[in-house]
Amino acid sequence: MNVVSRGIKNALRSPLRSGAIVLMLAISIGLILSMLVARSSVNAKIEEVKATAGTNITISPAGVMGFSGGGDALTSEQLATIVSTAHISSTIATLSDQLGAADTNLTASLELGSFGARQQRFDSSSATSTTNTNTEAETARPARPAPTPRTTVTGTTDQNSVSTDGNKLNITSGESINATSSDLVALVGTDLATKNNLVAGSTFTAYEKNITVKGIFKTDNKFQDSGIIMPLATVQTLTDQAGAVNSITATVDSSDNVTSTVAALKTALGTKADITSQVEQAATSVSSLESISSLALAGVIGATIAGSVIVLLSMVMVVRERRHEIGVIKAIGSTNAKVIAQFVTEALTLTIIGSIVGLTMGILVSGPMTNSLVSNQNSSSSTTTATRGGMSGGPSAMFRGGMNQISANFIQVTSSLTPEVFIAAVGITLLIAIIGSAIPAWSIARIRPAEVLRTE
Amino acid sequence: MLVVKNLTKSFSSASGEVQALKNVNMTVETGEFASIIGKSGSGKSTLLSMLGALDVPTSGSIEVDGVDIAKLSASQQTAYRAKKIGFVFQYYNLIPNLTAIENVILALEFGGMPAKLRKARAEQLLSDVGLEPDEQLRNPSRLSGGQQQRVSIARALANKPAIILADEPTGNLDSETGKKIFDLLHQLSRSQNTTILAVTHDMDIAGKTDRTFKLTDGKITA
Repeated sequence: MNVVSRGIKNALRSPLRSGAIVLMLAISIGLILSMLVARSSVNAKIEEVKATAGTNITISPAGVMGFSGGGDALTSEQLATIVSTAHISSTIATLSDQLGAADTNLTASLELGSFGARQQRFDSSSATSTTNTNTEAETARPARPAPTPRTTVTGTTDQNSVSTDGNKLNITSGESINATSSDLVALVGTDLATKNNLVAGSTFTAYEKNITVKGIFKTDNKFQDSGIIMPLATVQTLTDQAGAVNSITATVDSSDNVTSTVAALKTALGTKADITSQVEQAATSVSSLESISSLALAGVIGATIAGSVIVLLSMVMVVRERRHEIGVIKAIGSTNAKVIAQFVTEALTLTIIGSIVGLTMGILVSGPMTNSLVSNQNSSSSTTTATRGGMSGGPSAMFRGGMNQISANFIQVTSSLTPEVFIAAVGITLLIAIIGSAIPAWSIARIRPAEVLRTE
Repeated sequence: MLVVKNLTKSFSSASGEVQALKNVNMTVETGEFASIIGKSGSGKSTLLSMLGALDVPTSGSIEVDGVDIAKLSASQQTAYRAKKIGFVFQYYNLIPNLTAIENVILALEFGGMPAKLRKARAEQLLSDVGLEPDEQLRNPSRLSGGQQQRVSIARALANKPAIILADEPTGNLDSETGKKIFDLLHQLSRSQNTTILAVTHDMDIAGKTDRTFKLTDGKITA
C-alpha cells in the first residue's frame, strides 16, 4: 500500500459523504462539459455564418428596391468615390431597365400571372392616385391599360454577377460579351431565347436599335432566364442615362475590413445611397448566437468555481476531521509532501469519479441543452428577420441567396463533442482538484504532531 | 546512548511564560528499559515530545548516539522520527481505515523499506507481538485494546529504531493486559537491544524497569 492507494482508499472511506461529493461534482462537471460543447458548437456556427457572409457590399440609390421605390440613380462620380475607397478591391455596377411591347420586337417569356398583373395595376393606379382620392373620382378615372409582361434588361460591368449561385454565368450556346464595352450586343436568357427563337448570332430590336445576340445563358431562375444582359455602357446609352447605375456591388479585400468600409462609404455617400453588407446582416443574425456563447462561457466559469468550492470545502472538512490522524502519521515519520500527496490523491479520486459520472451526464445532455439554448434564442431572432424586406434583380439575388444560406445555417446549430472540448473539460476538472486541494494542503503542512498528540 | 543535557522548554500562555522542563539532565544506555514517572503536568509528555523530535527545546541538547537532534532541520527530524524512533501511544493511534498489517506497512514505508519487502516484515513483526494472521487483516476497530497496543508496538519496532518512546503504554488497558504489554516491551528491549523510555503512572511497572526518572514540576528529582 502506497500513498496513492491510501488516498484512493480514503476517498471511499465514508460512502455516503463521498457519494454526495461525487454527485455534486458530477453535476458541476456535467454542466461544464455541456456549456463547453454549447460554446464550441455555437462558435463554430458563428464562424461558419461569418464565412458564408462573404465580403460584398451592396450600394443602391437611397429608397430604391428593385424596380420599386424612388430616388435618383447613382452617378459616375459616386461610383468613382466607391472605387477609390480604401479596402475595396473590385466593383460591379449595374443598371436595370424593363422593355415594354413598344420598346422591342421581342415577346416577353415571363408570364405575368396574378402577382405580376397586380403589381402593374398598382404601378398604374399609383401614378394617378394624387388626383383621384374619392369614390366618384375613381369611377371617373380613365380605364387603365391592360397589364403586359415586360422583359428585364440588365446592364452590368460583369455578366457573371447575374448568376444566382455566385459562380460564373452558364453560357449554354454562343459566347459571352465584353461587359465593359459599349457594343450593341446581348446575352439572352434561355426562356426568352426559346420564346423568340433566338440563337447566338440572331438580332433583335430594342430602343430602336438592332442588338446582336452573342450567347444564350441559363441560370435555372425563371426571372433571370427571361431577361437580357448587356454591357453597362450600352444600357446607359440606350436609356439616355449616361453614367447612371442603380446598383453597385463592391468587394472588400478582407472580411475584417467590411464593417469599417461600410462606415467609410456611408460617410462618403451620405444619405444618397443605401449601403448594406452581408457581414452586417450576418452580424445581426449571429448576435443571439454570441449571447449563447457568452452565456455558455459564464456557465463554464460558474460551474468550475462551484466544483472547486465543493472539493475545497470537502477537503477542508476532511483535513479538520483527520487532524489527529495527520499528526500521528507525521509523528511516525511521514513527510509533509507524502501527507499532502495522499490528500491530493483523495481529492483527485473524488474528482475523477465525479468526472466520469459528470462527463457521461454531459455527453447525454449537451446536445439537447445546446439545441434548447439555440432554439430559444432563434425563435426570438426569427421574428426580427421576418420583418426584413426582400430585394430583386441582379446582384441582390446573390445577396438574397447568401442571406438564405445564413438563415439556414443559423437554425442548424448541431452540438458536437470534439476531442479539444473533451480535453478542455478534463483539464478544468484537474484544475478543480488542484484548487480544491491547495488550501487543505497548506493546512496539512501547518499541523504540528506535538500539538495534536498533546490534546489526547 | 541517549544523553539529555540542561534541557529546558518554555511555552507562552495567556498567564505568561510557562516552563514545562527546567534543566533536565539524564542518560539512558543503549538497550536499557527506563521509565519516567510523575504527576500530571509534571512535564513527562513534553519531555517525550522533545526526545522524539516532535518539538524543539528552548535550550539544551538531546544527543542520540552522539547526534544532537535539537539541531536537526525539519526534514532531518522527520527522517530521525521515521528511522530512529518508535512511538507507542496510550490510545494506540492506529489509522482506523487501515488493517493491522497496513498500519505496520505504513511505518515501513516512511522508514524507506523497499515495497516488496514490507509485507513479509510486517507479518513477522505482528507475529512477534502475538497477533494471529487473521487478526493482522482486521481494522483496529475489530481488535481489542491489548491487540491494538500490540499492533502499535509492532509499528514502533518496524524500522528497528534506536529508541522506543512509550507514553502510558498500559494506561488504557486492564491490569492483566497491561502486564502482558509491559512484558512484551521488556522482552523486546532485551532481544533487540532497543532502548525503551516509558512514561507511566503505574509504580509497579516503573519498579520493574532498569531505571526510573521522577519528574516533578519539570525537574528530574530522582
